[in-house]
Amino acid sequence: MKEKSSLSVLLNGIIKENPVLVLILGTCPTLATTTTVDGAFGMGIAALVVLVCSNVFISLLRKVIPETMRIPCYIVIIAGFVTMVKMMIQAFLPSLYEALGVYLDLITVNCIILGRAEMFANKNAVVASALDGVGMGLGFTLSLTVMSTIREVFGAASFAGIAIPFMQDYKIEFLTKAPGGLLVYGLLIALIYVVTQGKAPLKKSFSCEGCPNAEFCNSQNCDMKGA
Amino acid sequence: MKKNIKNLVVFVCICTVITLLLATTNFITAPMIEKNQNALANKALLEVMPNGKGFENVDITKLTLPSTVTEAYRETDGQGYVIKLLTSGYGSDMVIMCGVDSKGVVTGAVCLSSNETLGKEKTYGENFTDKDAAGVDGVDTITGATKTTEAYKNAVKDALNAAIILGGGSVDIRSEEEILFDNLNTALPEGEKKFQKLFLTEELDNIDAVYAAENQMGYVIVQGEQFIGVKADGTVAEGVENGTIFTDAVAKIKASSLQDINLAGYPDLEATIISAKKTASGNYVIEAKGAGYGIKGGDEYHPASNEYIIVRVAITPDYKIIDCITVSQAETKGLGDECANESFYGQFVGKTEQNYTEIDAISGATLTTDGYKQAIERAFAAVKVLKGGA
Amino acid sequence: MESLKILIVILLSSVLVDNYVLSRFLGICPFLGVSKKIDQAVGMGVAVTIVMLIATVVTWPIQYFVLNTLNLGYLQNIVFILIIASLVQILEMFLKKFSPALHKGLGVYLPLITTNCAVLGVTINNILDGYNFIESMVSSLGCGLGFLLAMVLFSGLRSRIDDTQVPAPFKGLAVTLIAASFISLAFMGFSGIVENIFA
Repeated sequence: MKEKSSLSVLLNGIIKENPVLVLILGTCPTLATTTTVDGAFGMGIAALVVLVCSNVFISLLRKVIPETMRIPCYIVIIAGFVTMVKMMIQAFLPSLYEALGVYLDLITVNCIILGRAEMFANKNAVVASALDGVGMGLGFTLSLTVMSTIREVFGAASFAGIAIPFMQDYKIEFLTKAPGGLLVYGLLIALIYVVTQGKAPLKKSFSCEGCPNAEFCNSQNCDMKGA
Repeated sequence: MKKNIKNLVVFVCICTVITLLLATTNFITAPMIEKNQNALANKALLEVMPNGKGFENVDITKLTLPSTVTEAYRETDGQGYVIKLLTSGYGSDMVIMCGVDSKGVVTGAVCLSSNETLGKEKTYGENFTDKDAAGVDGVDTITGATKTTEAYKNAVKDALNAAIILGGGSVDIRSEEEILFDNLNTALPEGEKKFQKLFLTEELDNIDAVYAAENQMGYVIVQGEQFIGVKADGTVAEGVENGTIFTDAVAKIKASSLQDINLAGYPDLEATIISAKKTASGNYVIEAKGAGYGIKGGDEYHPASNEYIIVRVAITPDYKIIDCITVSQAETKGLGDECANESFYGQFVGKTEQNYTEIDAISGATLTTDGYKQAIERAFAAVKVLKGGA
Repeated sequence: MESLKILIVILLSSVLVDNYVLSRFLGICPFLGVSKKIDQAVGMGVAVTIVMLIATVVTWPIQYFVLNTLNLGYLQNIVFILIIASLVQILEMFLKKFSPALHKGLGVYLPLITTNCAVLGVTINNILDGYNFIESMVSSLGCGLGFLLAMVLFSGLRSRIDDTQVPAPFKGLAVTLIAASFISLAFMGFSGIVENIFA
C-alpha cells in the first residue's frame, strides 16, 4: 500500500472503491438522506469530516491502541467525532440538523468509517490515512449527491430546494418516498454494472461474507473465542 | 493480566481524551445551540413581535384575563406581551397569536389555525398591525366573513386588555351582556340577576328599555346610561329624581292589555301577517313575514331553509315603531342570521313609516336586510288596513 | 385506557407504518445481506429484538438519571454505543455458558448487531421522541418485531429471486433492492390507518 501515490489513494475511494456504489457500504444513510440534495450533501460532508478525523486519530494512535481492545477504542473515537460534528452542525447549520435528525448520530455505526479504521487507518501513516479518509468521504458524498439529484429532480422537480419550472407538472413523487430510494439505488447499481462491464460491484455476494466488515466481525468473534 | 490492565488504561485514556474534546466542543457550541432552539420555539412569537429579543411564558392561572386568552409570553426586554387566544368564528375554533407592545399598540396578529370558510383570516391579522385599541375598532370587517372577522377583532381587543392586565393595570373584561346584567342587578338586587327584556307595547317617553325580573320582584328601566329599579309595588329607590315617571311607566306596562284581532276578516293580510293584536291604548302589535335569503330563489336554491323572517313589531296609531324583535329566521349562518341580534333589529325602534328604511344593512346579507324591511313594511300596511277596518 | 391506546398505536406504527427497515432504512445491511434463508432471518430478527429491548432497559434510565442530571447529554452517542457493544458481548458470553443450543442459533448474529444501526437508532429515537420508559419499551419491541417481520417476509422473496433468471446488470443486489422497494411500497399502505385506529 505504501508505494501507492497520494493521488491514487485519493482516487481509490472516489472511483475504484467507491463505498456506496462499488463496495455497497453505508446503505442506510444512502437511502434515508437522499430525498433532497441539501440533506445528502450535508450528510456526505459530515461523514467525510468524521472519516478524516477518525482516520487521522486512529492512525496516530495505531501503535498505542492495543490489538485486543481496538474495536471499543475505534467506536469511542468515532462516536466522539460524530458527536462533535453533530454539535457543530446543530450550532452553525440548524436547518441541516433538523433535516438529518437521527441519521447524524447513526454515522457512528456507518460501516464505511469503522471499515476504513479497521482496513486502512490502523495499518497506514497519518497522511495516507487522511487522504484515504478524504477520498472515501468524497466518494460517499459524490454518490449521495448523484442519488439525491435523481430523486429530487424527478421526484420533487427541484434541485437543492430551487424549483425547476418546466418540470412542475411531471413530478414522480414516489421517488422522494422510501420505496423510491430503494428503486433508484437498485437502478444505479445496475447502471454501474453496465458502465464497468460487470467488474462492479466488487463483491459478487454482498452478505456478511462479502462485507469488508466481515473480517472485523469474524475477528471479534475470534477474540471472543480466544478470551 | 498486566497486559489487560495496560490495555484498559489505554482505553480509559482514549475515552478521557475524547470526552475532554467533546466537553470543549460542547462549551463552544452550547450557547449557539440554545439560541437556535429558542429561535425555533419563538418563531411564531417573533412573527407577531418582530423586534422581540426573547420570550418567557407567563403563568396566567392566577390572573383574571379575558376568557379567550390561553397563553401569554413576556418579551424579556419589556417590549410587551404576546398573547395566544382561542376564539370561535364561523362554526369552528380559531387560534390567534397577537403581539402587544408596552404602549398598548398591536405589533402583529396571526391566525395559527382555523377551519374558517373563506381563508381571509390568514391575512386579516395584518390589518391590526400598529393599531391601538381605538384603531382596532376601525379595522374594516370583511364582507362575507362577518362572524369570522368580528371574532378576530374581539380576540385582538381581548389581547389588548390582557396586555394591560399583565402589565399591572386593570380593565373591564366583562362582556357587554355581563355588564348589562351587573347593572340590572345593581338597580334591582331583588331580581337576583335574572331579567327578561320586555317587548314594549306602550309608548314610554325617554325610556330606552324595560327589563322585568323573572321572579316577579319588579322592573328595571333603562334610560340612557341610567338603570332605575322599580319594585313590584311601584316604589323607586330613594334619591332617584322624578321617581314618579318610572312608577307611572311601570303602571302603564302593567295596565297594558292585548286583544287579539281575528284576521279572518282581512283576506288581504292573510298571506303576509301571522297575527295582530291591539292594546287598549290603540297600539298595534303585528307579527309579519318577510322573504329574506331563506326565501329568495325559492325551493330551487335553498330547499333546506325555506323559511320567512318573522318580525314582531309594536306600532302606534300614528305609525311610529315602539318596539321590534325578530321572532324567527333561517338566514345564512354567520351572515344573515345577524338579523336575530338586537344590534340589528333595535335600529327600528323609534323609526316611523317615513324613515324606517334608514338603518344600517347587515354587511354581506343584502337580501336578508331587504326581507326584514319588507316585513316591517307589511306591518305598517297591516296597521293601515286594521285602522281603516276599525 | 387512554395510555393503553397510545401504547398500541406506538406498537403498530413502529411495526407497520414506520417500519425501521422499510421506511427508515435502519438495519438495511443485514436485511439485504443475511436474509437469504428463513431460519437465518428469524434468528437475526429475534436477536435484534432481544438486544433492542435489553439496550432500551439500560439506556433509557442512563439517559434520564445519569446523563440528564449531570448535564452530559453530549455523551449520549458514545455511552449508548458502548453500552450496546458491551451488552452484545455479555449476552453472547451468557448464552455460550448457559444455553449452548440457543447460542448456536442466535450467537452467530450477535456480533453483527453491534454495528446494526437499528439498535442505536431505536435507543436514540426513544429519547428524541420523548417516550416514557414503558412507551420506550413498547417502541423498541415494535421496532424489533418490525425488523423481524421485514426480514421474514423478504427471505421468502429472496429465495425466489435467486432462482429467477434476471438480466445480468440486475443480478444480485440490484434486483434485491428493487424487490425491497416493492415491499416498502406495500408497507406505505399502512400509513394513515394506524393513527386513526381508535378514531
